[in-house]
Amino acid sequence: MRTTCPYCGVGCQVEPEIQGGRILRVLAPDIPPNHGALCVKGRFGLDFPFSGKRLLYPMVREDRRQAFRRVSWDEALDYTASQLLAVLKRRGPEAIAIFPSAKTTNEEVYLTQKLARALLSTNHVDHCSRLCHSSSTVALSRSLGGASMTNPIEDIWKTDLFLVVGSNTTETHPVIGAMIKKRVRQGAGLIVVDPRYTGMAEAATLWLRVRPGTDLFLLNAMARHILEEGLWDQGYVEERTEGFAEWRASLEPYTLEEAERITSVEKEKIALAARLYATTKRAGAYWAMGVTQHTKGTATAQALVNLALLTGKVGKEGAGLNPLRGQNNVQGAGDMGALPDVFPGYLKVSDQAARKRFEALWGVELNPEPGLRMTEVFEGIPKVEAIYLIGEDPVTSEPYQDHLKAKLKALPFLVVQDILENETTPFAHVVLPAASFLEKDGTFTNTDRRVQRIRKLLDPPGEARPDWWIVQELGKRLARALGRPWALYPGPEAIWEEVRRAIPEMMGGITYRRLEGEGVRWPCPHEDHPGEAVLFRERFNTPSGKARFFPVHFTPPAETPSEEYPFTLSTGRVLFHWHGGTLSRNSQLKEAYPELKVEVNPKDAQRLGIGDGEVIQVVSRRGRIQARAWVTERTPEGVVYAPFHFAEAPANRLTLNALDPFSRIPEYKVSAVRLEKLD
Amino acid sequence: MRLKVNGQEVEVQEGTLLLEITDPPHLCYHPHTETRGLCRLCLVEVNGRLLPACATQAQEGMEVRTDTEDLRTLRKTLLEWLALFTDLSLAPGLQGLLEAYGAHPGRWGRVPETRKEREPIRDNPFFLRDYAKCINCRRCVDACGEGIMGVWALTLEGRGLLAHPTTPLDRPLPETPCVFCGNCIQVCPTGALRPLSMEV
Ligand code: SF4
Ligand code: SF4
Ligand code: SF4
Ligand code: FES
Repeated sequence: MRTTCPYCGVGCQVEPEIQGGRILRVLAPDIPPNHGALCVKGRFGLDFPFSGKRLLYPMVREDRRQAFRRVSWDEALDYTASQLLAVLKRRGPEAIAIFPSAKTTNEEVYLTQKLARALLSTNHVDHCSRLCHSSSTVALSRSLGGASMTNPIEDIWKTDLFLVVGSNTTETHPVIGAMIKKRVRQGAGLIVVDPRYTGMAEAATLWLRVRPGTDLFLLNAMARHILEEGLWDQGYVEERTEGFAEWRASLEPYTLEEAERITSVEKEKIALAARLYATTKRAGAYWAMGVTQHTKGTATAQALVNLALLTGKVGKEGAGLNPLRGQNNVQGAGDMGALPDVFPGYLKVSDQAARKRFEALWGVELNPEPGLRMTEVFEGIPKVEAIYLIGEDPVTSEPYQDHLKAKLKALPFLVVQDILENETTPFAHVVLPAASFLEKDGTFTNTDRRVQRIRKLLDPPGEARPDWWIVQELGKRLARALGRPWALYPGPEAIWEEVRRAIPEMMGGITYRRLEGEGVRWPCPHEDHPGEAVLFRERFNTPSGKARFFPVHFTPPAETPSEEYPFTLSTGRVLFHWHGGTLSRNSQLKEAYPELKVEVNPKDAQRLGIGDGEVIQVVSRRGRIQARAWVTERTPEGVVYAPFHFAEAPANRLTLNALDPFSRIPEYKVSAVRLEKLD
Repeated sequence: MRLKVNGQEVEVQEGTLLLEITDPPHLCYHPHTETRGLCRLCLVEVNGRLLPACATQAQEGMEVRTDTEDLRTLRKTLLEWLALFTDLSLAPGLQGLLEAYGAHPGRWGRVPETRKEREPIRDNPFFLRDYAKCINCRRCVDACGEGIMGVWALTLEGRGLLAHPTTPLDRPLPETPCVFCGNCIQVCPTGALRPLSMEV
């Protein structure tokens, strides 16, 4: 039976064959988005639901010094409800935060944020995209009035030039990476902006090896050069944008000479990249964490947006602005309102009309104050007294791990709802075992806005239950105590029907029946609508219908190398693993990449006398980890690269929690470290 | 445009492959790979000539026959040879064809050295390469290279009867640029490439 891969935002369709309690093999059907192709994770990494680390029974403890007690669902849910209600009574909604997950279904995210908003009156609702694309979201929303890929994945076949910035696409979105590479073999150009020699850089027709954290300068310099050469799309800028004059003036300092000095990319190369991007009609920009995970993540994403607007690339086939979303359902989690400032459909919590809509639908009064963002919630402990985590492992994924652990220790009440034991479980008071993607029905929305089905192929093990069931049961108890209404749904489809009613302009036409075939892209207002492929063809989603330029300026990273910490540490992923490693390291994938390897440039390695494969320590101002050195040209001199999947050697013990002022994303991509040989 | 298939008029669009409108047995053709015209199993008769349906576009006025006595004999022989040289035990589709065409590989006697003797190669945590079962369709090579992945971890080595797909210089897969996407497995029609999870 067909379902959707639970790893990345590509949303590949998979057909796992299950026999005798294990996966025999995984094939892929010939439908979008992947048309039969998969990457190693979808092909060989789907067996984590069979892991011995599955959480099987609800568990409770009143106090962290006690051991967990196995309890019945009734007891676990009653206890959770009573604790949340107690905090609510004592400290008000401001003291409770709930994080739905970008790994759970749309239906589950919708229900969870509804529980937070309609029952507990808190808008402290957020999810892990805070840590990945929140910067893109801010920049795209304020400029275009929408924050998703503007173009569909299929447009890759119509694109003549790819501008890929800060995305290790072949490892993080492998099926899209392979498509881009194939299109390049057919003759399209590929400009890659990345400090590392990734698979994309290898395939590039032009590789700009920027110094980490300086791409903003490069993008602004490209824009300035395009203006100088008169290669911009004047008609487009006049008709479809605003704020141009002010922005143009702001580019004054970004000369090619200065850009070369700051980014260390030859100015001729920058000029060439600018010219190619401006003069190729079907040129699409793609980017990921290399852009967003900085203190100037929003500014850098904005620089890309400005560049695309200047050259008239948005709203056209084979072009556009395409942030590659990370988690399988990170698009859906945002769409369903797992954000502190918006309801489902990105309707603003602070907007009265939007509030009225949801008050009418849910039959309650709603809190008009936007909530705290995830990073702020953790900072807010112990003023925030209760956190309900679904499918999140902040101990692994948040920066500056030791600090976060101290915060969690000070948190009076933590609920962890997940499928597998992880690094955060030991901090919990209540553990609720959830069903995996193989064990429930629902929908995920992939990176190009395609809503796709997941299907129940197995029964959950032990007493694990689907997240929607758990949330619904908890809601029932809260509603009873608060005297508020709380609808009960027989299953995910009924929840989806409410989503369709809640945001008809976006999801109205998407029914489970239609999703039997291939997925349907939003916006899809009615059932005869095919779903929109390219956004903003005629107008932008802003009040004026025009897109807006915003001036953005380069600032150096929050922490720069010093004598004591002479290297720049960059963190990210590798092909074989996924984020905190909870899924991939409990699957067949673990054998292919069993332990942390840190990339070190040969010149640096030689200077320090570090051999390939040698175990070393990586030390920052915040902590140290042990790792095996991989001496490779992939990483430039002065830069070390560490994947963050390994709980026993967590790269995020080293990173700092300096935040972007707009998106509050942490600066994972740049911190200062030194390398120490053992003994 | 119009053409005749087994005496029946059909109307098709330009660029249609004969394989899409007829239904001869076929082996090497795969919509995601460029492989075609290799196994000759899909031969059909077009205006008296034998042409591979997977590599021939329909043309106005063609007279196509897919099931003549000659074609049946040819397919039977091709299938017998396949079965002689290759272990088809994990290719139920092909076994069915052998039966349907009344193929008796035994009538050719014993064949001295064939790829049937090759040992499966287990060099990575995910899948094995059991070239005893390989029919040289090259789908895997194309899926890995030009067709899908663009990593060229597989290539064709050897000549004649012993020609077979493998890694460049027969190196273990982990020492190649292989990304273990398993797209080669997905397109392999005979189970020559198969996940370790299928081994009991
Ligand atoms: S590309 Fe992403 S969605 Fe596709 S198989 Fe790989 S991890 Fe799964
Ligand atoms: S698994 Fe390896 S050999 Fe097979 S297609 Fe993928 S990269 Fe090529
Ligand atoms: S291994 Fe499979 S796909 Fe590759 S040539 Fe042999 S039979 Fe064809
Ligand atoms: S399928 Fe046509 S020759 Fe092989």
